[in-house]
Amino acid sequence: MINHYSEGVSQLHKVYRDKLAIFIFVFPGIAFFLLMFVAPIILSGYYSFTNTLAPGTPVDMVGLNNYKELLVDSRFWLALRNALILGIGFIVIQHPLAIFFAILLDKMGGKAEKWFRTIFFIPCVLSFVVISRMWLSVLDPTFGIFNKMLDSIGLGSLQHAWLGDQSTALGSLLVILIWAGFGWALLFYYAGVKGIPEELYEAARIEGATGFKLHFNITLPLLSPVISVQVVLAMITALKQMETVFLTTNGGPGDSTQFLAVYLYNQAFSASNYGYANAISIMFIVVCLIITYVLNKLTKNKNLDF
Amino acid sequence: MSKFNRTILWIFFLLVAGVQLFPLVWLINFSLVDANEFFSDKVLVWPEVLKWQNYINAWIDGNFVRYLFNTVLVSTVTIILTVGISLSMAYAFTRMTWKWNKFFFVIILLGIMIPIHATLLPNFTIFRSIGLTDSYWGLILPYTAVSVPFSTFILTGFMRSIPRAVEESAVMDGASIYRIVFQIILPLTKPAIVTVIVTTFLNVWNEFIMAYTFISDDSLKTLPFSVMNFAGQYSSDYGSQFAVMVLTSIPAIIIYVIFNEQITKGVTAGSVKG
Repeated sequence: MINHYSEGVSQLHKVYRDKLAIFIFVFPGIAFFLLMFVAPIILSGYYSFTNTLAPGTPVDMVGLNNYKELLVDSRFWLALRNALILGIGFIVIQHPLAIFFAILLDKMGGKAEKWFRTIFFIPCVLSFVVISRMWLSVLDPTFGIFNKMLDSIGLGSLQHAWLGDQSTALGSLLVILIWAGFGWALLFYYAGVKGIPEELYEAARIEGATGFKLHFNITLPLLSPVISVQVVLAMITALKQMETVFLTTNGGPGDSTQFLAVYLYNQAFSASNYGYANAISIMFIVVCLIITYVLNKLTKNKNLDF
Repeated sequence: MSKFNRTILWIFFLLVAGVQLFPLVWLINFSLVDANEFFSDKVLVWPEVLKWQNYINAWIDGNFVRYLFNTVLVSTVTIILTVGISLSMAYAFTRMTWKWNKFFFVIILLGIMIPIHATLLPNFTIFRSIGLTDSYWGLILPYTAVSVPFSTFILTGFMRSIPRAVEESAVMDGASIYRIVFQIILPLTKPAIVTVIVTTFLNVWNEFIMAYTFISDDSLKTLPFSVMNFAGQYSSDYGSQFAVMVLTSIPAIIIYVIFNEQITKGVTAGSVKG
């Protein structure tokens, strides 16, 4: 039997070294990556050195001009700042809430747990188009319910064009985005909480830990691998933000809700600065990679380590 | 938990559930009212008569069936490609011995970090010059490219938790590597595969910006994009627009509700390991 077993192991190791099979398994994925990520980025790099107005128009090389301009472009920095604020919002508000809800859901148990888990995720199943339209209507200065609610509880003086006023647009948008992405954060943390064996809680209870302390000492440390991955992904999600912004404020009013993807899109297709927009694209990628790298170092992430 | 705490928890959860379900209720409500009632000052409108006509308009005049067909086709092909590519890659990364294993794994994971929107402009240029704009492939290719890195991440996490004993006995029985992956590993990774399928489905089903950029031919539009279409075409008829949004959301919700259990399992094994 032991012989038989080790024979299987050695045969398996031979199979694991099958070069042709490895090639067949890996090639399509790598090819996709090269064609859909690397090739466009190289092309984008090329266009970023030009002052092309729109795709298909004459190309003039302008060297590093676009990048020089970008470094002093206050809208670019504003877009980056907004993304960082959103990322911090995700990490400081959305994620602790998601962990809290994950723990409570786990306590609920039974059918109710399943139902609530499903319902809490519903906004994530809906299209950005639906979510954006709904919030536009909820926050509408004239017809929106939100202002009506404020009025009915005697806070009518706070009524506001929430998405139309420079001072509140970003804050309102952050609330929308933090709400809209809540289900995903919850799903991952809930899965994490479910993965913690019950015996660990039992052991801690015997030692006298209860309630808050129990979760602080057991749940949080055991969730730390999940948390470190999720923190990095949250920041990336914040940087990548596009659709909801595009469909609600489109970066406005002024540039108060500008985000990198929206900015580059409008530069390319509305402002006819295709070359410049490509420079934004390249900087966008560079920023994402730098932030991922830094966060991985900070969180000592093993799962997404580069 | 004490009975008192439990009651508080229930009330709290019901309140939150109300907030989370609100978009859906709102959507369904406004899909059934007359366009004139849209600018009332109520949160939700009690329709005098249910305006099923909105759905008929959406279905027939709105060309809904065409957009539905496009979306289903694009989603299905994307899902098949994504699962095939990610599963075989994840297997090569977690099990097989080769020189560039770690390197390529890192490269593929970089795909999660690289913002797809940054490839939007050059891809538009490339697609236009090779005739991929206004074609199904113009959507399927970038959708698959976006889905593969995350799917590979989920699948490698899950595969590491599967013991090798099954593969050993399969090899003893003379199974080829391809049979091992697609007949033995595939069923064993089912929760992770379901997670990959559902997340890919939701992303593709609801994707807006690439469809908006790469497609202009009306007969190729997908559902989220077609909603914008309705905004222009039937600017006075919000009802039909809401009907389309409801009809778009229903399949996504059904799919999620059916597979929700599996997804949790798939994510659990993939995410919780030090």
